[in-house]
Amino acid sequence: MLKLDNIVAGYGRTRILHGVTLDVPKGGLVALLGGNGTGKSTVLKTIVGLVKAQEGQVTLAGQIINDVPTEDRAALGLSLVPQGKEVFGGMSVEENLLMGAFHRRRHRTEIAGDLEGVYQRFKRLRERRNVAAGMLSGGERQMLSIGRSLMARPTMLLLDEPSAALAPRVVEEIADAILALRDLGLTLLLVEQNVGMALDIADYIYVIRGGRIAFEREVGDGVAMDELQEFYLGGKEHA
Amino acid sequence: MDLFLQYLANGVVIGSSYVLVAVGLTLIFGILGVVNFAHGEFYMLGAYAGVTAVTLFGMPLPLALAVVLVFSALLGFGAEAILHKPMKNRDATSSIISSFGLAVALQNAALLTLGPQPRLLKTEFSTIPIELGPVFMPLQRALIPVAMMVLIGALYLILRYTWTGRSLRSMSQHATVARLCGVRVERVAVVTFMVGAALAGVAGFLMSSVFMVHPIIGNMIVLKAFTVVILGGMGNILGAAVAGLLLGITESMTSAYLANGLRDIIGFVIVIAVLLFRPQGLFGKAFERS
Repeated sequence: MLKLDNIVAGYGRTRILHGVTLDVPKGGLVALLGGNGTGKSTVLKTIVGLVKAQEGQVTLAGQIINDVPTEDRAALGLSLVPQGKEVFGGMSVEENLLMGAFHRRRHRTEIAGDLEGVYQRFKRLRERRNVAAGMLSGGERQMLSIGRSLMARPTMLLLDEPSAALAPRVVEEIADAILALRDLGLTLLLVEQNVGMALDIADYIYVIRGGRIAFEREVGDGVAMDELQEFYLGGKEHA
Repeated sequence: MDLFLQYLANGVVIGSSYVLVAVGLTLIFGILGVVNFAHGEFYMLGAYAGVTAVTLFGMPLPLALAVVLVFSALLGFGAEAILHKPMKNRDATSSIISSFGLAVALQNAALLTLGPQPRLLKTEFSTIPIELGPVFMPLQRALIPVAMMVLIGALYLILRYTWTGRSLRSMSQHATVARLCGVRVERVAVVTFMVGAALAGVAGFLMSSVFMVHPIIGNMIVLKAFTVVILGGMGNILGAAVAGLLLGITESMTSAYLANGLRDIIGFVIVIAVLLFRPQGLFGKAFERS
């Protein structure tokens, strides 16, 4: 579904990514793990086009999208749930959700149906539909961010640290929500620092370190935590 | 007391023009981060366009108003292409310099082509008196607050209930997320400039029956508008509307009860006081900029 092929990218002259290759198969839930400053946010920014790839290719459903502007990528079925629960703070919850459907704003009845669907999924959002998004709690904002992305009717969903700065109980709630999205048939790339959560829900993991993929492994046949930690915290290089 | 009400009414008329100019200015700043020093020139050229439409082509006031709206919006379109589009990836301060340059160019172009002699607008409404109790003014003047309320009301509805309006607001609150949703920065910029210029142009036209029109009227009005924008909280539309009316009324009262010479000073005194004690503006808190 989504392929990164030897991506080199960065800001100005500073290179952050030194040849990142990864593959998210259709219907899969892949996690990209890494600590602060390892380049995982830059990977996401490159996928959505906020950072331009200097070398390599980003392929979505067989189409090379390197030169597609960020604004047009939502219409291709690519949607990012940004880090830090970023919402339009001065706009109501419902307006935030509607903005997710901006690229297909002509389809009124469809949008009304999708809005209902998001409210079914996240009941708290319906209760708070007329509240300014800036007034929501961290967990509610995360739900709103996911809901806004769903309004875009994505096929490929990117999640940037959905568990960051949330209480453990809320993290579980979010994890359940993400699993429900996979059951819906969405393809997901989860970028996380939270190894525990990623191992719980992902079926394949990549670990990024110093702008390179340091480790990759299928989950399920029991990835030993200590083996993973060795790559995560430093030490071994990619074989 | 009777005189007080008359001064109040005069203040509301002037204040209404400040609202129209300042709302556009604060919109352009809030959404695009552009400090538009050429905003007063939208006001000036709108005034000339209206006066020309009425005196040269004999248009009735409502038609002339429509002409000014369209003309000023096109002016905004052009200004965006000249002073915003090429500066897109530059530092925000470059817009200050480029808009200042555009202001000087437009003023001198107006001086060259239209000449320095001041003009005053007289229409079929200028001679119809309106009396509301002790308050008296020509109908044309009384129409200024009415036009302001209609236009600002329309703007509010557009911002609140249309996709274009929501895209503008989303851009002002979180540009990156707005882009991820599919909002095009370039289109938002064009719309914002067109709306801002149209409001300022209409203000210039409406006020051309109160004050003389000449090529440098934009200088003072843009300073007043910046005063209003700061008082209302940068980027805060509602704040600008309230602060605009307040400034108009304060000026009117100052010239009536203190001294006429203080009229243009009082606003700046208030701005300095506000910047010292409440730098986010009088209404700055009501608006969250993330």
